Amino acid sequence: MRKRVGVFVCECGTNIAATVNTEKVAEYASTLPGVAYATTYKYMCSDPGQELIRASIAEHELEQVVVASCSPRMHENTFRRAVEAGGINPYMFEMVNIREQNSWVHHDKQLATSKAMDLVRMAVSKVLKNQPLQKSTIPITKKAMVIGGGIAGMQAALDIAEAGYQVILLEREASIGGKMAQLDKTFPTMDCAA
Amino acid sequence: MVAAAQHPNIELMTYAEVKKVSGYIGNFTVSVRKKAKYVDWDLCTGCGTCIEKCPTKKIKDEFNLGIGLRTAIHKLFPQAVPGKPYIDAESCRKLTQDKCGVCEKVCPTKAINFNDKDEMVDIEVGAIVMATGYDLFKWEEVYGEYGYGKYPDVISGLHFERLVSAGGPTGGKIVRPSDGKEPKSVAFIKCVGSRDDTKGKSYCSRACCMYTAKHAYQVKDKIADSEAYVFYMDVRTAGKNYEEFYQRALNAGAKYIRGRVSKIYPRGDKLVLKSEDTLLGMPIEVEADLVVLATAMVPSAGAVDLAKAIGFSVDKDGFYQEAHPKLQPMETFAAGVYLAGACQGPKDIPDTVAQASGAAVKVCGLFSKPELATDPMTSVVDATKCSGCGLCVPICPYGAISLKERKERGGHGQGPFIRQVAEVNSSLCQGCGACVPACRTMALNLKGFTDEQLVAEVDALCL
Repeated sequence: MRKRVGVFVCECGTNIAATVNTEKVAEYASTLPGVAYATTYKYMCSDPGQELIRASIAEHELEQVVVASCSPRMHENTFRRAVEAGGINPYMFEMVNIREQNSWVHHDKQLATSKAMDLVRMAVSKVLKNQPLQKSTIPITKKAMVIGGGIAGMQAALDIAEAGYQVILLEREASIGGKMAQLDKTFPTMDCAA
Repeated sequence: MVAAAQHPNIELMTYAEVKKVSGYIGNFTVSVRKKAKYVDWDLCTGCGTCIEKCPTKKIKDEFNLGIGLRTAIHKLFPQAVPGKPYIDAESCRKLTQDKCGVCEKVCPTKAINFNDKDEMVDIEVGAIVMATGYDLFKWEEVYGEYGYGKYPDVISGLHFERLVSAGGPTGGKIVRPSDGKEPKSVAFIKCVGSRDDTKGKSYCSRACCMYTAKHAYQVKDKIADSEAYVFYMDVRTAGKNYEEFYQRALNAGAKYIRGRVSKIYPRGDKLVLKSEDTLLGMPIEVEADLVVLATAMVPSAGAVDLAKAIGFSVDKDGFYQEAHPKLQPMETFAAGVYLAGACQGPKDIPDTVAQASGAAVKVCGLFSKPELATDPMTSVVDATKCSGCGLCVPICPYGAISLKERKERGGHGQGPFIRQVAEVNSSLCQGCGACVPACRTMALNLKGFTDEQLVAEVDALCL
């Protein structure tokens, strides 16, 4: 696999750009071994941001992608999809968190920028070792079990059954109904519980 | 209830308990213990002759919280679904002393079977919805100021429900448990066990403000010239038409008193409640014939063990932990296991129904796919490096690693031999990586986070 990394540094409006000099990070990234292209954008997760990633993969014949933005918890899947749409394996991708773990917790712009550069350098080194991974599939038994036959269990079982799937409604007492069967009228409409 | 029983896609399995759950999303095996009912429900028509003739008639009726009596062979309640009786083995004279056997003689369809045994069955399912509900906080164990349960006329809200229910043991007549007389003055105490860090739970049980308003209204509605006093800390009516309902209780004449009751004691055949009215700023005393406690909701008995058996977590109070408090309120940390109702936290009926429908949608969404794509970032074993020590097996929180036999070719004059190596079930593996540092021979690697990748990162920072 060729070493052609694309680095995309997100400004996240001013969330990142106010504390991290994103231009400088991108400029630095383009000097790293294996990096073929590096750029910044205001919101990398937006539609034009994702389009930028897709277009750059084709234009610069990228083989690996690094996005420096927010927490992977937030947008890892977003960028994996963008990378996949650009025609490369979605696991040839690394995400660098320069927001939650950098711009949001630091004040000194120079130090924060230097930290962002370190983090990007690490991710570039890692992504060069990434291997394409394939999702596997497992079969699904299309039958559900609902444990507990009170109002919650009965409602869930009925809705699943109505959708056309088999349901086992399991109850430890000899009758379904649960606590609801013990109630008289119910608020606020005063209709009968049983 | 009847709708659930009659739906062609629903199979009812009552008087049954989950013993063990193995497998993973899309492919669970649930081991269920079907408890012995001693009545063959395929033969039974539910005619009720056995219940009528059963001579063991003096058992406290648990369903009615001890109001009234039941027989040894009985239905949980008259409208039970399925509407078939079962024998309570502990109180049946035939099963305990080998006497009687009347029900067997009178049954027209020969449905009674005293030799019935518990039965274990394994059921394959693709998704599980937890709907184990709640129990009531055991106030008798801690609230000494309310009499530790020794005053018969201090009861729980659920007890009151059975009294006021038209289908209940009193036919809907509100009476005192002590003497069967109609109370003229009923006092309600809210937040018994809820919002009480010292004796109970720190959380609000959410439904009590509303059902207490309903109870107070029912007292005013059903008993002429009655008084209903409600002792409260706050009145929380956050729900559609809830505030209006509370106002209806006030308009009916319910007297709301802001204060915690500090003591209940008997005076003659009445109960005296000592409290402070914090709005008046003075101590008060109320005489009541009946006291109803709005006790906290707690997780149902056995719920925590069940979560452990299935493999998802509970919160500090034992309620089932949702995967995310706002965005994934119906999901657990175990893929394919969903939550409905009060097992996840105290809830009233509208919220329970909403969450149950949400959980059902999650199940249907899963079932609508032809098959399930799994995240490839899972652990893998290099069998040639694995020594078969098994250290990784108990470390895996998902039970994804097991030892398997592997045939080796042998060498240096040795013939083929069999040895143990670790194997990862990639469907169960969640990619947490806990096994990787445990492996002494570095045979385990997490795809996407291999040793080589991590070393490259560290080198980039340090070299």
